[in-house]
Amino acid sequence: MIRRLNRSFFLFATTLALLLGITFAQQTGSNGVPTGIPEEWLDPTALTFEDIEFAQLEPTRHVLSNGIIVYLLEDPSLPLVEGVTYLDVGSLYDPADQVSLASLTATLLREGGTQDLAPAELDERLEFLAASIEASASTSLTSVSFSSLSDNIDEVLGLYADVLSSPGFDARRLEVARGRTLEAIRRQNDNPVQIAVREFNSRLAAGHPAGYYPTADTVNAISRDDIVSFYETYYKPNISVMAISGDFDTDTMLATLEEVFSDWETGEVSYPDLPEYDPTPEPQVYLAQRDQEQSVIIIGQPSVYAYTPAYNDLSVANEVLGGGGFSSRLFTEIRTRRGLAYATGSQLGQGFEYPGTFLAFGITRTDATTQVLSLILEEIRTMQQETVSPEELEIQRSSIVNSAVFRETSAAAAVQRTARANELLGLEPGYYNRYIERVQDVTVEDVRAIMAQELNPDQMLIMVVGNAEGFDGSLAEFGEVVPIDLE
Amino acid sequence: MNVRIGRIAVGLLFTLFVTAGYAQDLAERVSEYTLDNGLRIIMVEQDFAPVVSINLMFDVGGVDEPPGLGGIAHMVEHMAFKGTRTIGSFDVAAELAALEELEVAAKALEYAEGADIDDATLAAFEERFAAARERAQSLASPNALDNLFSANGGVGLNASTGYDRTDYRISLPANRLELYARVYADVMQNTVFRGFYEERDVVREERRQRSEDSPQGVLFEAFLAEAFRVHPYGVPLIGPPDEIEGYLATEAEAIFDLFYHPNRAVLVIVGDVEPERDIEMLERYFGTWPRGPEVRPEIPEEPAQTAERRVEVTFDAEPQLLIGYRKPTVPERDAYVMDVVDYVLSNGRTSRLFDRLVTEEQAALSVSTSSSFPGTRFPNQFVIIAQPQAPTTPAELEAVIYEELERLATEPISESELTKAKNQLRANTIRALQSGSSLASNLAYHELFLGGWERLIDDLEIYDSVTAEDIMAVAERYFVEEGRTVATLMPEESAAQAPEGE
Repeated sequence: MIRRLNRSFFLFATTLALLLGITFAQQTGSNGVPTGIPEEWLDPTALTFEDIEFAQLEPTRHVLSNGIIVYLLEDPSLPLVEGVTYLDVGSLYDPADQVSLASLTATLLREGGTQDLAPAELDERLEFLAASIEASASTSLTSVSFSSLSDNIDEVLGLYADVLSSPGFDARRLEVARGRTLEAIRRQNDNPVQIAVREFNSRLAAGHPAGYYPTADTVNAISRDDIVSFYETYYKPNISVMAISGDFDTDTMLATLEEVFSDWETGEVSYPDLPEYDPTPEPQVYLAQRDQEQSVIIIGQPSVYAYTPAYNDLSVANEVLGGGGFSSRLFTEIRTRRGLAYATGSQLGQGFEYPGTFLAFGITRTDATTQVLSLILEEIRTMQQETVSPEELEIQRSSIVNSAVFRETSAAAAVQRTARANELLGLEPGYYNRYIERVQDVTVEDVRAIMAQELNPDQMLIMVVGNAEGFDGSLAEFGEVVPIDLE
Repeated sequence: MNVRIGRIAVGLLFTLFVTAGYAQDLAERVSEYTLDNGLRIIMVEQDFAPVVSINLMFDVGGVDEPPGLGGIAHMVEHMAFKGTRTIGSFDVAAELAALEELEVAAKALEYAEGADIDDATLAAFEERFAAARERAQSLASPNALDNLFSANGGVGLNASTGYDRTDYRISLPANRLELYARVYADVMQNTVFRGFYEERDVVREERRQRSEDSPQGVLFEAFLAEAFRVHPYGVPLIGPPDEIEGYLATEAEAIFDLFYHPNRAVLVIVGDVEPERDIEMLERYFGTWPRGPEVRPEIPEEPAQTAERRVEVTFDAEPQLLIGYRKPTVPERDAYVMDVVDYVLSNGRTSRLFDRLVTEEQAALSVSTSSSFPGTRFPNQFVIIAQPQAPTTPAELEAVIYEELERLATEPISESELTKAKNQLRANTIRALQSGSSLASNLAYHELFLGGWERLIDDLEIYDSVTAEDIMAVAERYFVEEGRTVATLMPEESAAQAPEGE
């Protein structure tokens, strides 16, 4: 029933003892210290495993008569059906003076009822059926999802199609949504991590919609007409991709989708030009002064596009630096060895419309702020100058190939990932499989070279949210300090 | 397309049918074993993909901690990732000797800090401690256990500590199950608490992050301390700061020795298993783990409450409101009825509190409720948390919430509203089982505390039997002023006087 492509992966038969540098003491340690290990227990680093073959989940692709591309994957293991429609529009198309337009449009699409049903009637019917429909906008995509018990699927799909193709945009519900958005803005300085992320992103992408954050003014500038106009411009079946998984029959599902979406009319979508993404943040240190126990530190820069060869190498380098959890350098050095943070690490964003962001972070007690900042910069610089050990690299490469099977554990995740990758992100088919193969060829010298080529710690933007009165040193050592006023 | 409304009766019949079908299907896929040492092993065959999701849960949590060692259960949980005598050590004899010396140095430093001595003398004790720590660090590999699982494709290696229980989780490619057994049977018998004092600092940072710089963290801590003045649900789960800073490695080891026994644990494995084959291998490893005494600390009951309790905290953040009511816990029937009340009050846009506070009156940004806070082993609280929307004040919000609770106690709920809540409860039970790791932790919890893993499904029948009269009765019985604790978070004076937002 579950269609899988017969392409096999082989998990490594491990001989990791040497590679991992994990020592294994014998049944009796040196000087006769008992280890408590029964004789028949094996050295865990020497345990070898047979190659495991697994088939990849393979959704089927269909095109409805009005142009909607549909990916389907049957999974009868639970009596549920889940789906999502991705519309190729996101908050990147918010006008600068109406930031939140894409987001409020999505919210009101769901909360504003349909042409036939008042908002409260729609909510009541869905919740009686224990079903849900939700809509939200990210920078690049708008997602409208549903979840239903399989026996109610026909009725839920009917409601879902009405929400997408004939929304009511109830004016009172707009004021409810606006009020909640304004309240969220009022609360935007309640949490130090939220402050740091926002202030970092908005400066890194200054001048580009990726760096826009809403204010009361931009939210109050949005009228119901603006929302209807945004909907009429962008919510078209021909820029929509659907991904549905669960307990259904594919032919029946396709027939139902044809019927319920027959009234949704196609239309040409023209996108306005976006400003070029060309951030050249000054190598500056930003300080948001706030009376708190810890400092939140984020250091980063715009980096590479996800579909470039550089991404493969840099993503592996990032795993070694701080993306690979406990095993990574920032975690080992700042957390495990020094106890300076509970949360530390690094991330490499997958950039499609604009380059992904590289960032490293640490949340530490106020009087260790400059120490942690120095340690992060030092770890980045060390990886630019010296090759990492083969053992460190092998842990990350093995982790990537051996955990690939977990991409096939959820039908919903698989069908959604396939739909996005094939139709919306501009990736070559089979991109991820090739990514896994390619990273196996990454060498320690590749890691050093890509770190030196793509990252520049002297040009990174440094964001600190914390109480400067208690810092262990001066932020001025790291560059010109620009204060941020949080009021 | 037009949608007709009016098939009200269909919903409940259907969800009853599908969940019954799923229950039977689940029962057929479960194999249960109990080893001679008392370890219960539950395997669930689920061959969707060649992976296993594993949960090892102990019936030990924050409530079992001795006085003065608040949060030590959580500290022990962190230490269970540090490796064993055979995993991580470069030279086990030298390392154990170094750890003994470190412990002496740590105790000496602790005494010195409390004594009347000059700075130079204190500095010498600090240096001795630092040197011993460095020596011990040099004899072991950091994070060896994680490296081993990561390289083998493990994902979701994690653990969590609650007031009631502690659990350890990981998902692995199915043919790595023996690696899991080898490592975890070793951790349970030969763990080495290496890096303890570094990790104590990590936990202190975790406390700052979760409880001190987070408005919700501050609010919940203040609430629990007021709602549970005697019962340990009132002690911060992560521990008070001064108690964290005073932990010794030997104290944590003693807690581990006292509580971590196979007869107090359930091991659940969901995924591509062959129970008859795998149990032999699992027994080879976990069977060597000796049974231990079941020490049950005397846990004081929270005395009867006779009046409303209130606490207000000030913080650099917008207002928040937290209201709690004392209530009994499972298996008392009223606790199940309160679970249904939870759905009626806050599940979904049409729930009573969301509809009135958020949609109709625009008085709150959000509102949510929980019927079993902060645990289920002991009588607990029904809590309501809301974020008022300006210009509504917490006091005004509170008054509206009380009106809704009063209405629940005085007007019978309609049949369709009750059915809707039950439908949602059933559907959410199924949705929670979609992931192997969620199914594993649910089964472990029900097996340890709720009378068997089967209760996960069987309890749905209790929910179905809940009537409109039951709802009125529990609302009248528990939503009373003398059973109430109210905590509010208000902006600091200076912040409150500043102009609002934009």
